[in-house]
Amino acid sequence: MRVSLRAKVVLVALVLAVIPLVGYVHVKQIERLLREGQEQALRATARAIAMALHDRPQLLALRPGEATSDEMQLILKSLARAESRVWIVDQNQRLLALVGDLKGRAPEDDRAAPLEFATRLVQPLTALLLDRPTEDFDDSLPESEIANGATAASALQGVPARRLRSSVDGRATIVSAAYPIWSGEQVIAAVVAEETTNAARSVYNRALEQVVAVTLIAFLAGALALLAFASRLSSRLGRLRDEAEAAIDSQGRVRKLIAGSAAGDEIGDLSRSFSTILERLAEYNRYLENMAGRLSHELRTPIAVVRSSLENLRLQPLPADAGVYLTRANDGLQRLDRILTRMGEATRLESLLRSQARERFDACGVLRGMISGYAAAYPGRRFELDAPEAPVWLRGAPDLYAQMLDKLVANAVDFATGDEPIRIRLEGRGGLAMLTVSNRGPRLPEAMASKLFESMVSVRTTGSGSEPHLGLGLYIVRLIADFHGGSAQALDREDGSGVVMKVSCPVVI
Amino acid sequence: MARTVAIVEDDAAIRANYADMLKKHGYEVRAYGDRKSATSALRTRLPDLALLDIGLGDEPEGGFTLCRELRALSAALPIIFLTARDSDFDLVSGLRMGADDYLTKDASLPQLLARISALFRRVDLLREPPAAEEVLERGALKLDLKRLQATWRATPVDLTLTEFWLVHSLARYPGHVKDRDSLMRDAHIVVDDSTITSHIKRIRRKFQSLDGGFAAIDSVYGAGYRWTA
Repeated sequence: MRVSLRAKVVLVALVLAVIPLVGYVHVKQIERLLREGQEQALRATARAIAMALHDRPQLLALRPGEATSDEMQLILKSLARAESRVWIVDQNQRLLALVGDLKGRAPEDDRAAPLEFATRLVQPLTALLLDRPTEDFDDSLPESEIANGATAASALQGVPARRLRSSVDGRATIVSAAYPIWSGEQVIAAVVAEETTNAARSVYNRALEQVVAVTLIAFLAGALALLAFASRLSSRLGRLRDEAEAAIDSQGRVRKLIAGSAAGDEIGDLSRSFSTILERLAEYNRYLENMAGRLSHELRTPIAVVRSSLENLRLQPLPADAGVYLTRANDGLQRLDRILTRMGEATRLESLLRSQARERFDACGVLRGMISGYAAAYPGRRFELDAPEAPVWLRGAPDLYAQMLDKLVANAVDFATGDEPIRIRLEGRGGLAMLTVSNRGPRLPEAMASKLFESMVSVRTTGSGSEPHLGLGLYIVRLIADFHGGSAQALDREDGSGVVMKVSCPVVI
Repeated sequence: MARTVAIVEDDAAIRANYADMLKKHGYEVRAYGDRKSATSALRTRLPDLALLDIGLGDEPEGGFTLCRELRALSAALPIIFLTARDSDFDLVSGLRMGADDYLTKDASLPQLLARISALFRRVDLLREPPAAEEVLERGALKLDLKRLQATWRATPVDLTLTEFWLVHSLARYPGHVKDRDSLMRDAHIVVDDSTITSHIKRIRRKFQSLDGGFAAIDSVYGAGYRWTA
């Protein structure tokens, strides 16, 4: 599976998702502390009331049905917390007093301004996860709680207790703490203080919302920054790749890389080292291109030695059977000569091209002149010319254009099979004069298709006759096409029945 | 008296082979392996013809220098360059130094001999007073076949021996297309097609420097060249 650099960086960025988790754990901790504090406070309240009533046992000596005395009310109200409910129950499970209300005011909106917007954004999300406290719940004090409530019962036994329970309708959680009121050695009643957890709950909710908002923003910002960085990296690398792929064109020429060549980072280094490699490749290509010429030059002298020696030998009185060997040696020499001439041809052409003047000429005229010569030069092979009546004007050298056609035709004749004629076609299209030479025969070998126009590249099987094949013919085609401002291409026929060589040169008016 | 041919060639085997060959054909041969010995020897006694290699030992242009020195000593001395080089540039600069012809080393000895004897014939005729002339006239072109000299509108054209033979081959039958092979045969050379092309180009340039409107040599693509006059 192919995973792009960008996707990988985004995956790595997922590590940042730990931050919200840490925030959540932290907020949970805060909630626990808050609840603990609330329970402690309730217990302290219950204890304070129990102490106060301990000193005034007469207040508890109530008969059923009698109203709670004002003093009792006063004590309870002054000691109880704002949002708590306090009640007192005696050993007979009689409710002696009940003060306060579990429902308080709605929690205030005290969100910090800069985070407000962010928290509002995440609210739809947190609403799903969080339990929003409500003031709309049944705050009745059930009979069972008075008679058998765990906290009250425990306090009546003389043991202070605290617990959490749900409201009657289950929509709120109530914390309660109970404390016994002693009279001598006896517990005469129990004080129970209760509060909802709504206050702590909304603090918790708000904290959680903020943590989610902050971490989400941090995560998004971090991920976006990484994504931007990764995109830039991958686009730079992509550019470098595209250029590197295009650096060697279909005709084997090497171009220089531009992308990132001045950058000071590793990609710049990569681009530069790639450029160096390409330069070496170009040098090597030049070396190959010149090798044939140099080789032919170097071989000239030793061959001249052999030739002049043979010619001297011919003037000597020789035994009768020596003539055979002399003839063979001469044949070999002639073949060597042909090879050398071929090898030097490209080099000579290159130096000729440097000094050659360009003139305007009609490519059709050149083709028409050439075609009659081919029939004579290659008996047994038919040629078909398809050229427009109107002249097609090119800028270059007609001699060279003719030489190029020679090479293309020689190539086509070598590879042609069957008796289908070799089709030579010239058409002017879109400002280009397209010359195609097409023959029936084997397809181009795939691996070589792009290298055919390079120096000394040949796809011929060796040993075909006495003509040397050095892979310079199509290289010469390329040199001449270049000279005319055009390009050369080798293609398979569309139906695969043969090969088409195509040279397009710009037309002049 | 046998004619003297000086060979200046740095490759000992080729030098010896050429010397032997020329001796067999009745020439007296003086062979030198480097420019210094050749200069000092040739200064004291000029040969009748000089055969020079361009690259001499560690002097890649030694032959050109030698050619200039010899030309300074004698304007009439026939000089032929014999070279392993085949770039146009070298040939053109060699001919500017005043050589009468040049051959690449893959030329055969008969081709070389044809040139040597032609040049000697020309030297002989130049010495004698003009007698029976053998002249080919084609319009403004006049070819003196004995002296191997060409004139265009009565102005001498400075052609090398090879170029003269090429012009003669074309002008002998005006209107006939001469293919490259028969041109080579007539000019006693064996070269590839592109060399013929550059020979023709050079000939045209020489005529055009005398007459800007010169267009008597016509290219017939795929076939060869013809003289139109």
